[in-house]
Amino acid sequence: MRRRLTHLTLLAVAFFSVFPLYYSVVVASRHNSALAEVPPPLLPGGNFLANVQRVFDTVPFALALLNSFLVAGSIAIAVMFFSTLAGFAFAKLSFRGRNILLLITVATMMVPAQLGIIPLYMLMAKIEWTGSMYALVVPALVNAFGVFFMTQYLSRALPTELLEAGRVDGATTWGLFWHVVLPAARPAAAVLGMLTFMSAWNDYFWPLVVLTPENPTVQVALSTLASGYVNDYVLGLSGTAVGTLPLILVFVLLGKQIIGGIMQGAVKG
Amino acid sequence: MATLPAAVPGRRRRLVRHALDLKLSPYAYVAPFFLLFCAFGVFPLIFTAWVSLHEWTLTSDTHTFIGVENFGTLLGDGYFWNATFNTFSIGVLSTAPQLVLAIWLAHLLNRPLRAQTFFRITLLVPNVTSVVAVVVIFSQLFGRDYGLINWMLSWFGIEGVAWAEGTATSHVAISVMIMWRWTGYNALIFLAAMQAVPRELYEAATIDGASNLTQLKKITIPMIRPTIIFVVTVSTIGAMQILAEPLLFGAGSGAGGITSGGPDRQFQTLALYVYDLGFTKFDFGYASAASWVMFLFVVVAAGVNYLLTRRLGGAFK
Amino acid sequence: MATPYSQARRFGRLAVPVLTASALALALAACGGGSQQTADTGGGTAEKVTLSVALFGDFGFKPLYEEYRKTHPDVEIVERVTQFNDHHNNLVKRLATNAGAADVEAVEVGYISSFTSQPDKFHDLKQYGLDKRQGDYLDWKWQQGLSKNGSRLLGLGTDVGGLAMCYRKDLFEKAGLPTDREKVAELWPTWEQYIDTGKKFAANVKDAKFVDSPGEIFRAIVNQAPVGLYDAQDQIVVATNPEVKKAWDLSNQLSLNGLSAKLAAFSPPWNTGFAKGSFATIICPAWMTGYIQEQAKDAAGKWDIAKVPGGSGNSGGSHLLLPKQGKHPEEAAELIDFLTSKDNQARVFKEEGTFPSIPALYDDPSIQSFTKPFFGDAPIGKIYSDAARTLKPQHLGPKEGDVRVAVGDGLGRVEQGKQTPDEAWAQVVADVEKIK
Repeated sequence: MRRRLTHLTLLAVAFFSVFPLYYSVVVASRHNSALAEVPPPLLPGGNFLANVQRVFDTVPFALALLNSFLVAGSIAIAVMFFSTLAGFAFAKLSFRGRNILLLITVATMMVPAQLGIIPLYMLMAKIEWTGSMYALVVPALVNAFGVFFMTQYLSRALPTELLEAGRVDGATTWGLFWHVVLPAARPAAAVLGMLTFMSAWNDYFWPLVVLTPENPTVQVALSTLASGYVNDYVLGLSGTAVGTLPLILVFVLLGKQIIGGIMQGAVKG
Repeated sequence: MATLPAAVPGRRRRLVRHALDLKLSPYAYVAPFFLLFCAFGVFPLIFTAWVSLHEWTLTSDTHTFIGVENFGTLLGDGYFWNATFNTFSIGVLSTAPQLVLAIWLAHLLNRPLRAQTFFRITLLVPNVTSVVAVVVIFSQLFGRDYGLINWMLSWFGIEGVAWAEGTATSHVAISVMIMWRWTGYNALIFLAAMQAVPRELYEAATIDGASNLTQLKKITIPMIRPTIIFVVTVSTIGAMQILAEPLLFGAGSGAGGITSGGPDRQFQTLALYVYDLGFTKFDFGYASAASWVMFLFVVVAAGVNYLLTRRLGGAFK
Repeated sequence: MATPYSQARRFGRLAVPVLTASALALALAACGGGSQQTADTGGGTAEKVTLSVALFGDFGFKPLYEEYRKTHPDVEIVERVTQFNDHHNNLVKRLATNAGAADVEAVEVGYISSFTSQPDKFHDLKQYGLDKRQGDYLDWKWQQGLSKNGSRLLGLGTDVGGLAMCYRKDLFEKAGLPTDREKVAELWPTWEQYIDTGKKFAANVKDAKFVDSPGEIFRAIVNQAPVGLYDAQDQIVVATNPEVKKAWDLSNQLSLNGLSAKLAAFSPPWNTGFAKGSFATIICPAWMTGYIQEQAKDAAGKWDIAKVPGGSGNSGGSHLLLPKQGKHPEEAAELIDFLTSKDNQARVFKEEGTFPSIPALYDDPSIQSFTKPFFGDAPIGKIYSDAARTLKPQHLGPKEGDVRVAVGDGLGRVEQGKQTPDEAWAQVVADVEKIK
């Protein structure tokens, strides 16, 4: 009885989690006039492909997908690498000022992203990176969350004996990192990479400020769609579906590993 | 193995190199983070402070030093305080229920269940959805005349709620969007922490006849306190910086006043106010002053919440 | 003997391909950033030129591009469309940072003077011989495209927004009002009478409102006055100009009498409102007819067009400008000339509804006799020709757009019942004072 109740509750939660996305596909598969129907339509119509075609005709969406993929991919890989590197140092190496540096790292998470936007924008304008993907990738190559995350994980999951054995064999610190730490860090690094990829893919504000509609990321293209031609909702939501589905697909396919990784690597304070 | 025992003269050199490796390499490893952070984190922070002391607009090349005048104006600026109120209101409305819900969900999932993975994946789906999509969809759901939510409310005799027009209703609508996006994510983080709690504790409690709720209160929450503190702090920081939701809601809801968060600024958050000043009025000097004060608020709010959750957690012990 | 270390080493090999891949991805991302430039210049048989045209709504240029490509196979045209306010803000930003502007930028009349006051950011179209077009244009439209001192030609006009009033015949019939456009015009020679008509309408029709929202009505009334938000010396006169206050009071009458559907113009619910027939009248500068047709596809034949209350005025209309950052000014100037040519303005009017700024067309029989079935065969050619001919142009100031937003928010506060008109007005005046 209890268990059934739990299941029902969770099913309801699952429903609410998925419904808005489902509803957007419903709207995306219909015509604009469907929005005004009472009661609202709850089943997909037959216009989805035609609407998606309109998306690709209206904005350079293929380019946007490619840009987003490259940007999010580069950021994810860089964050995984640099965070593991710094996490290794913080978790397993002793050096003067370690604790204070770690504290500073955590504290930097408090700096609001928007605080930097104006000077960052002026900086990008000065070095002529506005409109270029460099402006998105370079500032995002590291982040405090990643460093903290990997520090947490490695301090628990990487046996110190393994490192000591490596030292006895005469390995340098770099050798240890390369041959011991990186492989051991893989589950957590994969999660970090996935989370970073998702948030980079979905980053909205900074790309909107610094890019142009000709060379957009998915989010910039979406905002063009949603606000360009007289707020065409159906167009906006079709774009949304096309821009989100790749992510969802990856997610469902790799879901088990990702969730497993989160379970293993998540922050345990 | 990679290295063979070397001859005696080489040995000293190797020892020196080994010592250097141990001493210096850690700094090299944390250096990329700190270097990039200095370039793209610290520099903007300081530069923003510098700009805030000037009359500085995008369109003019002359930047007049005016000391703390911008900060003085800010303290007397009703719109700034309105935005501060909205930020805290939306922050509390979105964060508090979200965390309670997340802990509860994690608690539900933290037991043997069929279809565990399915539930966990669906919890993360909202977080994968882009914020543009979330707001476009929710603006439609919260529509005044033809929205799904008002349609359902009409079954209970509540007609035509103008969500975007009212202060309270617009805050609720925006908070729902934020909650929808982040509850599942936080639930999974809590769940991870819960799974590290030794099973025996629960078994012993069950034998003692402790109810489910008591177990949650007496065992789970104290045991995952560090995670709660972490999540609360991060959520607070996030809540203080809400921008995309009110910006897009203003455009999508038809209430008017897009960058001002409604014609009465009823849902203009601090971040949106800074955006309005910086990127529609191009008044960089004043916007920089506002964002610095906002930064201070974030630090204070995060600090207060940190202390509060430490206290609260302690109370359960 | 296999130590834990040597075992781990084997796994470590995996790291190499991963990192190689990461380096590759970074390099690719860099290319992604630069690909736009290479696309501009590289490849193809002849030197292919890509021109970007930045607009803030549907200008109806799409078929013109097609035609242009036929005669200019080397030119590729990309259109980017952004929301109205964003479009103009982006342009300010891109001019200031010298990056990201399109080759051809549209500027609405409310913003034109903030751009003509920075002439060094744009090419002088005279360099490309476009001063030959002066004879084509309405004089005031031509003047608006000149730099402050009149020495340089920065923009060529596209359309003018002569005013009319669009109304739903079916809803008027339901309200017991006349539906014939001449009779409807007789209902409202003045704005006061327009409001009275609205009250009659509201007494009889409960499931639709009389007007979409007061924002655009305010703009229309102000535009009918000889002096609007700015005086000739570019000083904001919102607080002191009695015409502005009159427009404010009239517009608020709509809200206070419950005549407004409270749908902010150009928002998604406003679009839906068209489809559902949520309002019976809407102020109709010529370009609005295009929106109505687009949004109310199913309502063909239900809309009609009558004379506007309060005499003629201009609301909206645009210019095309040539920012200096563009790489192909010559080609872009030629495109501007093409897009604004007499024939093409006539064509865009017939297809889209935006009305030409070339007076010779007003007597053109094909325009004079032009009707649209969607609007019940209303003689829209004649209606808008008459409106455009009798226009008294008004001086527009540099921050016209910002002032409009401030007043619009004030009207919104009254409309949503947040403030009394007096409170809202006081706040508008204070907001406007802050605009520098």
